[in-house]
Formats: sequence, C-alpha cells, structure tokens
Amino acid sequence: MDRHINSEDLDFYALGAIEGEEKQELEAHLRACNACTRELEAAQGRVALLAFAAPSATPSPAVKEGLMRRVRQERAQQMPRPVPSVRRSGWWTPALAAAAVIFAVIASWLWARDQAEVRQIHSLEAQLTAARERSIGILTAQQATGEILGEPETLHVALAQQPDGPPGRAGVLYNPRSGAVVYAGQLPKAPADKSYQLWLVPASGAPLSLGVFSAEEQTTFLTARVPAGLAAKAFAVTVEPKGGEPQPTGPKVLVGAGAT
Amino acid sequence: MTAPTQQPQPDSALIERIVDGDENALSTLYDRYSGMLFAMLVRILKDTHAAEEVLQDLFLQLWRNGAQFDASRGSVAAWLLVIGRNRAISRLRSRSYRESAASAEGFSVDAIPSPGNLEDQASRMQLAERVRAAMAALSPEQRETVEMAYFEGMTQSEIAARTGSPLGTVKTRARTALQNLKQHFGG
Repeated sequence: MDRHINSEDLDFYALGAIEGEEKQELEAHLRACNACTRELEAAQGRVALLAFAAPSATPSPAVKEGLMRRVRQERAQQMPRPVPSVRRSGWWTPALAAAAVIFAVIASWLWARDQAEVRQIHSLEAQLTAARERSIGILTAQQATGEILGEPETLHVALAQQPDGPPGRAGVLYNPRSGAVVYAGQLPKAPADKSYQLWLVPASGAPLSLGVFSAEEQTTFLTARVPAGLAAKAFAVTVEPKGGEPQPTGPKVLVGAGAT
Repeated sequence: MTAPTQQPQPDSALIERIVDGDENALSTLYDRYSGMLFAMLVRILKDTHAAEEVLQDLFLQLWRNGAQFDASRGSVAAWLLVIGRNRAISRLRSRSYRESAASAEGFSVDAIPSPGNLEDQASRMQLAERVRAAMAALSPEQRETVEMAYFEGMTQSEIAARTGSPLGTVKTRARTALQNLKQHFGG
C-alpha cells in the first residue's frame, strides 16, 4: 500500500472492524507513514465519541479505595532500598551472596510494609479527626438550632449568591435575645489561598466575624454567639485571605438582609 | 474583588503531578473520568465486577506510566477511552491485549471532537446527550452495526454473519453511520 490511507478506512480500523489481509496491509503502511499515524490518532478520538452512547453507570466507591491502596503500596515498595555491601574476600561464596540478597530483599520488604502501614495509620487518623470535628460541628449546630428555632424572635435569613460570584446558597438562624447564630450553607470549595468568612452586619457599628471556613464538605455548618440584643442589618459571606480578616476586605459571595 | 474561580485543573497539569508522585492528582483524574469510563466498560463487558477491575487497572497504569503520556499532544480522556475499550474487548473476546486492533499504547490519541471542555463535568454530560441523540438519529441497522463493532468488538464479517446481511451492506451501514457522526461533531 503506497497511497495514504483514506479517513474512512482509518475510522474502520480505529473501530476494530477491519481484519485479515486488509488489516495487515494497513498496519504495514502505518508503521512507515507518520502522516497516516497522525490521522489515525484523530480517528481514535472521533471513534471514542461512541463511548458516550453507553447508559450512565457509577462504579462502587470500593474501586477508588482499592486503587489508592494499590498506589500507596507501590509507592512504599519503590522507596530506596538498602544495598548490601559484599566483601570480596577469599571466603566469599555464591551461597553467602544469595543469603545477603535474600536478607536485603526481606529487610526492604519489611521496611516498605512498615512504612505503608504507618502512612495508612496516619491517613486514617487524619480522616477520623476530620470526621469527628465535622460531627461535632453538625451536632453543635443541631443543638443550637433546637434551642432557638421555636423562639418567636428568631430571624430566618436566606443568603443569596451574588452576580459574578460562585454558585451557592445558605440560611442563617439568629436569635437577638440570646445572640445565638446558626449557619448552614453550600459553596464551592474555597481556593487554596483563600477562606470564606461569615459576617453579621449590625444596625450600627462594624461587622462582626462569625467564623471562617473553606467549604471542604458539601454543606458547611457554623455556630456562633454575639452579644445579646444586637440588631442585625444583614448577614454576608465574603472571600478573604486564608484564615480570615478582622474586617471584611474581599468580595461578598452570599448576602441576606436581617431585620430592617 | 475577585470571586473564587471554579475552572477545573487541566488534565495536563494533573498528569505532571502524577509523574511527580502526587496521589491527589490521580484521585482528581479518577473522579473526573471514572464515570464516563465505567459506563463504557459495563456496556462492553455486561459485568459490573469485571468492569470495575478493568477500571482500576486502567488508572493504575496511568499512575505507573504517566510519564510516557504526552498530555500536550494528546487527550487524556480519549486515551483512557481507547485503552479502556481495548482492554475490555480483549477480555470479552479472550483475545490477548497485544492482538487487539489499534491499541494506542505507544502513541497519543487526539482530543475527542467535543464542543465543550471535557475536563468539565457539565460538558461531558452535554456531550453524552448529543452522542445519544446522534445515535438515535441513525437507522436501527446503522446503529446496530456501529454498536456491534464498538461495544462488542466485532469485525465487519462477524457482523455480517450475525445479522445475516451481505458484507457490502454492513460496510455501507458502518460507513454511513460514521459519516453521519462525523458531520454531527466535526473532526
């Protein structure tokens, strides 16, 4: 086959539908022709479109867990291994060399296994700590909500997303008599060098910070307490440098009006 | 006053991080493309467990050999789809992986001709809708021919034998179907 392969045949080939002599000829040409190889790459991309015709399906979370476990095991095994030094003296024998190699392999395997286990334990500890902190946050929010939800003076404030801001929504419960505030909201995860900060804007005076968060989870819960009797004009979430600021400096991403 | 950006990190940057040994980058790529790949694998293998095994092996290969993939030249999504399909078809038909057609192991795969950026989930969903609509617009015979070839790994003569149609008819149906899809998506 001297002429270039036409795109139709390349599509058939990418589809895997060509066989026999025709396939062999085509492959022989591809091995020698960069232009047709480039065209085949384009055909592969076109044919890959057909994958999207498959009905949606979601793999079990265990698949990803297993994948990440295998990755960590492989990383542990790739750690630098101790190299045995062999004395080239008269009593050196192949048997001793073999024993040294076996010893080194066992030692490095044990070391790698220990390292992997230590990493797994640290990872599990971090996950447990995060889960515990999150559970405590939700529990505290639930308790505070229970305390103020039925109170007649409790304000229910819906915080709305802002034009040009990220998608999001939130709600605040505020009881001026006790000063208790409960926030529950959804925002995309904050950029690595930024934090979200929740503010109460009083009827007079400077805004009060109610908490800083990064929206790591789908829903963020915050509880706070401000001086009793404070009239709230509005609540707002702003984007601030990581860790928050004493006063708002960044753009508002969620805003809701309090009592007027 | 700048709002937080939500642009997904480019695949090429994630591949670089994988090459540097960053597990989080692999995790992100898995989250991005595992659903798309798994849907195709289940459709081919008709076995959830087998599809999950192929899926996991595919990403493990990406982890091991990420350095060999030139993300500046090719598309990660298309490469995963091509390799994943070849593996599934090989498994389905008990063929050795090396024998499978156009394995794409040794070279890159061009981007899927998508109107949107496939690194973005909404674009992937839109593309799936458009592909399904384009497939629905084919005649039943054309659709069957393409699906047998793509999802069952059948050659043209095998399709002719299965459907009882002459080989020439099968070729014409496949050709027309692919031309229609090409017109629909450009490329």
